[in-house]
Amino acid sequence: MPTTPQLSPQEEQEKLLEEALNVVKTQAFQMKRCLDKGRLMDGLKHASTMLGELRTSLLSPKSYYECYMAISDELRHLEMYLVDEFQKGRKVADLYELVQYAGNIVPRLYLLITVGTVYIKSNELSRKDILKDLVEMCRGVQHPLRGLFLRNYLLQCTKNVLPDAVEDQSTESSGGESGTVMDSVDFIQLNFAEMNKLWVRMQHQGHSRDRERRENERRELRILVGTNLVRLSQLECIDIEKFKQSVLPGVLEQVVNCKDAIAQEYLMECVIQVFPDDFHLQSLSSFLRACAELHPNVNVKNIIIALIDRLASFAQNEEGSGIPSEIQLFDIFSQQISQVIQNRPDMPPEDIVSLQVALINLALKCYPDKVDYVDKVLETTEDIFNRLNLDHVEHGSPVSKELMRLMKIPVDTYNNILTVLELQHFGPLFEYFDYKGRQLMSCHIINNALENETMIPAQENVDAILNIVNCMVQDQNDQPEEPDDPEDFAEEQGLMGRFIHLLQSEDPNQQFLILNTARKHFGAGGDKRIKFTLPPIVFAAYRLAIRYKQLSDEDENWEKKCQKIFQFCHQTIGALIKAEQAEIPLRLFLQGSLVAGQIGFENSETVAYEFLSQAFSIYEDEISDSKAQLAAITLIIGTLEQMSCFGEENQQPLFTQCALAASKLLKKPDQCRGVSVSSHLFWSGFSQATDGEFHDGKRVSDCLKKGVKIANQCMDSSVQVQLFVEVLNHYIFFFEKGCEQISVQVLNQIISKIRELLPNLESNEETEQINKHFKNTLEHLQLKLDNAESAEQYAGLVL
Amino acid sequence: MVPSSTKSVVFHKLPVGVSVGGPCKMSFFGFGQSADVNIVLDGQENRRTAEIKTEDGKREKYYLYFDGETVSGSVNIALKKKGSKLEHQGIKIEFIGQIELYYDRGNHHEFTSLVKELVRPGELTHDVSLNFEFSQVEKPYESYTGANVRLRYFLRVTIVKRLSDVVKEQDIVVHTLSQYPELNSSIKMEVGIEDCLHIEFEYNKSKYHLKDVIVGKIYFLLVRIKIKHMELQVIKRETTGTGPNTFNENETIAKYEIMDGAPVRGESIPIRLFLSGYELTPTMKDINKKFSVRYYLNLVLVDEEERRYFKQQEITIFRRADKVRKNYQAALSHHNPSLLSDGGGSGKSQYQNTEEENSKEKDGEAVNNDEGGKGVI
Repeated sequence: MPTTPQLSPQEEQEKLLEEALNVVKTQAFQMKRCLDKGRLMDGLKHASTMLGELRTSLLSPKSYYECYMAISDELRHLEMYLVDEFQKGRKVADLYELVQYAGNIVPRLYLLITVGTVYIKSNELSRKDILKDLVEMCRGVQHPLRGLFLRNYLLQCTKNVLPDAVEDQSTESSGGESGTVMDSVDFIQLNFAEMNKLWVRMQHQGHSRDRERRENERRELRILVGTNLVRLSQLECIDIEKFKQSVLPGVLEQVVNCKDAIAQEYLMECVIQVFPDDFHLQSLSSFLRACAELHPNVNVKNIIIALIDRLASFAQNEEGSGIPSEIQLFDIFSQQISQVIQNRPDMPPEDIVSLQVALINLALKCYPDKVDYVDKVLETTEDIFNRLNLDHVEHGSPVSKELMRLMKIPVDTYNNILTVLELQHFGPLFEYFDYKGRQLMSCHIINNALENETMIPAQENVDAILNIVNCMVQDQNDQPEEPDDPEDFAEEQGLMGRFIHLLQSEDPNQQFLILNTARKHFGAGGDKRIKFTLPPIVFAAYRLAIRYKQLSDEDENWEKKCQKIFQFCHQTIGALIKAEQAEIPLRLFLQGSLVAGQIGFENSETVAYEFLSQAFSIYEDEISDSKAQLAAITLIIGTLEQMSCFGEENQQPLFTQCALAASKLLKKPDQCRGVSVSSHLFWSGFSQATDGEFHDGKRVSDCLKKGVKIANQCMDSSVQVQLFVEVLNHYIFFFEKGCEQISVQVLNQIISKIRELLPNLESNEETEQINKHFKNTLEHLQLKLDNAESAEQYAGLVL
Repeated sequence: MVPSSTKSVVFHKLPVGVSVGGPCKMSFFGFGQSADVNIVLDGQENRRTAEIKTEDGKREKYYLYFDGETVSGSVNIALKKKGSKLEHQGIKIEFIGQIELYYDRGNHHEFTSLVKELVRPGELTHDVSLNFEFSQVEKPYESYTGANVRLRYFLRVTIVKRLSDVVKEQDIVVHTLSQYPELNSSIKMEVGIEDCLHIEFEYNKSKYHLKDVIVGKIYFLLVRIKIKHMELQVIKRETTGTGPNTFNENETIAKYEIMDGAPVRGESIPIRLFLSGYELTPTMKDINKKFSVRYYLNLVLVDEEERRYFKQQEITIFRRADKVRKNYQAALSHHNPSLLSDGGGSGKSQYQNTEEENSKEKDGEAVNNDEGGKGVI
């Protein structure tokens, strides 16, 4: 014979399978032909030959499975034929004995099972004995693969004939016993035990280098074993009591005793999945005890988590029924989990934490009101960390990820930081994170508060939260030397700034305490942080002052309190100045001054003056950039223009100072703009003498004239025209307000001046803008001219 | 379904001087008066028959008798030539039980021989029918056809003549019935090879009737070899001759796989073997000092290297009166031999490892090995 080329293992398998299937096909055909002709004995012989194919040791589990499926299909034929014959009354005596003469055990037992099933179907009363016999006889096949399939065939065949009644249905006269559901339980459990043994045994056969392949093969076969449990779960007469007393203990005993990780993991999972929730609830302790005894390689965490998840969703789905109150679900799990952890000294800490995650989920889903359950979990976790000497949970490590998951759960579930604060062990556990972990968690917590707009109503709460998120408040000992990315840092601190607005109490006195506490914490934040965190505090303080004013009827000490608040603000702004901030303190002072002026408490004028003068000194001492100077002076002027609390003696120096400062700006355009703006002080500023606006037309006019003069001195023609247009607008504003010192002629003059200069400008974008501004201004005037009401006032205007 | 384990041990030998159950022997000469002799047994239409093998393996049916049963009937003699007479020196009928050893053809050992004279010497002028009766005749042994020996019962009618007698033989089959033994203890034994294999086995009885079921269990106490499968064999050993001239003939009657694959420690494997499907005879011990037929259960374990480990146990097989057939429940006759409960009173014995590479076990070798094996125990 020519040597055939070497076949790959896969091709080899295909070839073997094909050969086997051919035999099956041929023999099945012969079998059916014999049966059709009523030649039962010959039919059985062919069946037996066909079954001989299942004696092979050459097929892989996969191929064996295919062969098995083909054969069991054909056997169904035989079974149907026999049932039919039995029903026709043509009893084939001793068939059960007859098939036992088959010399080889595998075909013999397949036939025995087939015939046994037929006997049961034709005479139910025999089934108890037959079932017992079949499951016992199958012991003869000790080869794992062949045994597993044989016993699976047994399960398949007996699927619909297992006794499922509480009482034996048979009468005494009928002889046999039809059996009770407990007989079915015994039957399945024995079969299960044997299959599991075979399955586990596969692990220990063959070379150790094939271990991986073997484990894969075992996984492919696991469903064969699991079917036993499915069958058990399908017995309707099993109630909770029977489940607790017989079914579960039997199963668990097998699972625990087999000491095989793959089997244990799969079967425990199976148990969870196939039996109903209320059964699990009633038998938790024994299930969990079994978990504690599993092989160290079993991922017991997944098993427990699967169970918890199932029960937790059960508790949520089933309205009404829920978790029976007599079952201390949490306590049981908590206890058993700690037992599991104790039994497994090698369990990785992240797995321990994941268990706690599951536990906390359970607590939150089943007992949403019981904060102490959640706290208990945190406490346990902390204890475990202590025991493991784990004081530094590095970011990115599995433990850190799990711990983060654990601690986010109460935050995300409660959506209320105050409830989280009730957890005594939240803070301490938080400290186990490293810097990065704390930072992420802190952001998470603060974001949660912001999203839910959780108000923090008491000083102690503020203290507690800020202690927890301390890494966002102050520098940390363990923070990295490289500073954070400035944008990230700004974002993070921006969060804190927003968070400060949540520190709100109904009670103003409490609010003051809150602000003090916040100030203390944030004040220690260092120069980089306080510019984000102190301004909100100052604003909150101003708001509080306004509230005291509103409550002045109820609180006779309100004025003193306001004073105190402004002192507090003054000092807080001072801290910002020390941190070499200028623009923010300036603005805060101005705002303070404004607020103080509005409230009008005893001494408020002094306070307002002090604040304004502080703003001035910042302007003078700290602000050097010309643009910033202009912006600052504009703000000061704007503030001053709004204020009405000053007496003459305070007001005049301030006014003068403003105008002076404006005129002393370095750059001509700035001077021009400053002076023009300061004109408004003398028009709409508050005059105590008239208890209204000043309307000092002369000084307005002087200011504007000065503006025009300065504009004339400008070298840059483009800027010059721009300034003229701006001044023109100021003129028009006061003209419309009725300032007598400003006449149509003045407007005409400036307009013609602009018209004269404008064409000389280079055409570019800037010019375009100026042009537009001017055109808009003229359009405004044109509208006024066209309007009958105002036309008279504008008479003589040349456009 | 019956496996072809019944090896027919074929001995081609010359037929014996008498034809069995055939027509009457013709005279050498074609002339002279002759007669057809026919034996009709009383009540034969209602009598049960039983099969027995002939020497050349064919099966024949004969009427069945038991020990102490009267054998009676009539001998019908029909003259072939009507009107002519038949002279004779007397007509007799014998009841004979004899043992034939194939290697000693000349000597038939008759253990029973009864003679009745039917007609005194004279002449027959017409057909006659002559009654006979062997009352309550003793039939101590069972009819048997073996490899080297045959035990048969027959009736022989002889019309004694001057030249050649007219002889007619008629075989019957005798079954010996036994009472169900009062003492029928189970067979229990722990056997093993040190640090390699220890098993305990139990057969529920030591004595089985022909239609019995052997129920048992094998319990594995220690398994350090990779067992491939295990089978139970029923071996029949026929012993003939005595002293140095003893011949043993072994035949494997049944070969029955009872386990597939390798068990682990603590596993117990059920045995259930129905005997009725096999060709068995009752155990016969020292029949007329000429031969014995004994049965053994041979438990064989084969490991992955085709090494065979076996242990033989003699069992007694007996015949009991047939009863009305049982129903299915007998077919699953499942009884639990309390294997381990009483710790097994029988002595320890060791397995013999025959190191036989050939998976086919030869009958002859098994015997030798068995003998050797016993030495090791």
